[in-house]
This record gives sequence, C-alpha cells and structure tokens, in this order.
Amino acid sequence: MRHVAVVADMKLGQKGDILVTHALGSCLGLMVYDPQAQVGGLLHAMLPMSKINPEKAAANPYMFVDTGVPNLFKEIYKLGGDKKRLVVKAAGCGQPLGKNEIFKIGERNFTVLKKLLWKNNVLLEASDVGGPSGRTVHFDISTGEVQISSNGAVNPL
Amino acid sequence: MKADYLTKIMDKVDAFPSIPGSAVRLLELVDQADAPIDEIEEVLRLDPGLTANVLKLTNSAFFGLPAKVGSVKRAVMLLGLNKLKQLIMASCVNAVMDKDIPGYDLPAGELWRHSIAVSVAAEGLVRELNLDSGDDIFTAALLHDVGKLVLGQFIDEDYAALAAAAGNSVSFEIAEKEVLGTDHAEVGARILEHWALPDALVHAVRWHHNPENAEEVHPSTDIVHVANMLCLMLGIGVGREGLQYQPSPVVTRRLGLKPFHLEKLASQTIQTMGDLADVFINSETA
Repeated sequence: MRHVAVVADMKLGQKGDILVTHALGSCLGLMVYDPQAQVGGLLHAMLPMSKINPEKAAANPYMFVDTGVPNLFKEIYKLGGDKKRLVVKAAGCGQPLGKNEIFKIGERNFTVLKKLLWKNNVLLEASDVGGPSGRTVHFDISTGEVQISSNGAVNPL
Repeated sequence: MKADYLTKIMDKVDAFPSIPGSAVRLLELVDQADAPIDEIEEVLRLDPGLTANVLKLTNSAFFGLPAKVGSVKRAVMLLGLNKLKQLIMASCVNAVMDKDIPGYDLPAGELWRHSIAVSVAAEGLVRELNLDSGDDIFTAALLHDVGKLVLGQFIDEDYAALAAAAGNSVSFEIAEKEVLGTDHAEVGARILEHWALPDALVHAVRWHHNPENAEEVHPSTDIVHVANMLCLMLGIGVGREGLQYQPSPVVTRRLGLKPFHLEKLASQTIQTMGDLADVFINSETA
C-alpha cells in the first residue's frame, strides 16, 4: 500500500508498503527503517520547536521536530523495531536564497534533529538537506530504499 | 530571442481571459456604501457556477458555521459583505487557476491551493503584526502568481536556459527576466491592469518578489512577499524551481518581523489549510 504523509504528519509502513511525502521545502522529512523487522516510518515535520505552540504539539506532535522525532521512534518500537538496527535518513530542510535569519526554518529544523539524534546515540546514515531545492521522498519499506525527486531528477539516498 | 519571447508573452497577456462580468458587477455592488443584498443575490442567481463555489467555500470548516448554508442571503448575514467579496474573488480565481502549470511543474489545483494559502497567511500576518493593510490584502495575495499561467509554457519550452541562468544563487524571477525578457510578477501585474483592478493590487503583484525595488512602499506588497515565501517553504505550491527566491531583508526590517512571528504563522496557516481541505478535494473532483 502507498501511504502519503502530508505536512505535520507521520506514516508507518510494513513490508509491501511505500511511504511518500511530497514537496518538502523547509520541512524535515525523516525516514527510519528496521531492515530485519522490515518496518519503517516517515515523518514530515514543519517547525523545529514545539514551544512556539504547545497546544498544537499536544494535539499533533508531528508538526514539530522536537516532539515528532521521539514519537516516530516510539511508534517504530511498537511495530517491533529495535533501536540498534534502525537506519535513519533525513531530507528537506531547504531554504530560500540569501542570509535572512528569519527564513532559516529549514536550518533550525536540521539542527534540532541532529541534537536529538546525538543525545540519543543515534547515527544519521544519510541526508539530502539544505539549499533551495524542493524534494519529494519515496520510501520502500520492503527494501528500505529511499528515492529523492527534485527538480525533475530522481536519486537514491 | 528574448525580444521574440517578449512579443509572444505579451500577445498571450492580451488574449488572457477577462474576469467574469458577473464578478465585476458583484464586486461593484459589494463595494457600495449601502450594498443591495437583493441585487447581489439576483446577479449570483444568473451565475450558478459562481454561486455553487461561493456556497462551497462558505460551508467549509474554515468558517466553522454551525449549520449548512444554502442561500447567498444567509451567507452574507453570517459572514458579512467583506467575506462575501473574498469568496467571490476566490471563486473567480479558482476558475482560471485550477489547472496544471507546465514549466513550474505544478499539478492541477496546486496553484489555487498556493493562492489561497498565501491569502490565509497574509491575513494572519496582518493580525499578528497589527498592521493596517486595507481590505485588499486577501485579493492581492490571491492573485500574486496569476502571471505563472501565461509564463509557464514559455518556461517549459526553454527550461534548460532558465536553469542555467538561475544556477544555484540567482533568484528565479531574475532568471525569467534574463531569458524571457520579463518575469511572472510583471506578467501578472499586466493581467491585473487589463482587468482594471486597483493600483494597490497591481503594485502587490508586480513587486511581490522584490518589494525593495518599488518606488513606493505599500504594506500589502511587503505582506504578500513574506506570505508567499512562507507558503513555498511549507511546500504549498512549490514548483520545479523550489525555494529559489530571495526574501528581502529590507521588508523584514520594515515589518519588524521576527523568527517566532514566521513560525507561529506557519502553524496557523497549516491548520487553516486543513480546515479548508474539503474545498480542495471537491474542486479536484468537480
């Protein structure tokens, strides 16, 4: 089955599933996979820190990186995923041209992700982040393969 | 080459569909000091498509009305004339924008979704920053990218040249101007001039990517600039060129914009777009 994670959303998959998220701009796309259990999850989080709107974070943790990432891991564990085996990849976190700090939401998203992973001893296996590209992710849960489509080209991550 | 493009593009602008006559009449009526509801209803009765669209938007979760509204009169009573004006504009724009846009690689419906999102974000920004931008901010935001409807096919014909001109660091509308002799903001402004819309709207559309280059400062232009960048960053209406546009530091200073403003606005905009989701699903299947 094909499951699409929209903005501020997370989708889980098992063998035979394809997880997709479209049009990552400054949002973070996070792909987490257990190759042995053949389970995985795809998060599409839009903002770095939930403190900007704790009410929304309570209603939908996947809007924010700091609440969405831990929730994604917990859901994978429930499906039989094991922290030691997890393969973690990131995409998105893009930003417009120039050095305008206000618009660096993508960079802040990636910074919060790296801090979270580091604190929890999780390695980031691969990433395609930053720059002005829009990105779409196809994540095949049967194989763990991730494809990134951007500006008319498709590349494996 | 560039001159050839420019002639062809301006021919397309001249041939661009005019705004429906009933919409022009309705906007005139709504703008009258003592707007005649009966007459508004009568004009809408003659345009069932427009009426259906207005009622569909009225009944979306966005307005959170307790019961389904079946008549225009009731919609005006519940929402007020200013909202009716916005709904009429949104319905008209839906008719021209709800198609796929080559060149920018936007699937059908995505430019309309982007237009609505930018309108929602622009109104949110006005509230958040306590600005006085007038009633036209919604319409300015709604129409800011109308030029893409004309320019898309020319971009599609010569995308390699556009990509080469843009490289990694040139704002995409500058690349458009270099290769095609004009950009989607200027083309959009010309279309609005043809429609005889107010100068403030034309200004906001013309300068929405580079407000600091305009001779006059219009707050609505600055707001559309920021709201547009935000919606692209959120992936709403982000095309093949991605986020390859430059937010203006002059504008963020002028507005007193801070990172938390933008992040708060982002979460509100996504929530509102969720409330409007049923409108977009219907429009795709209609």
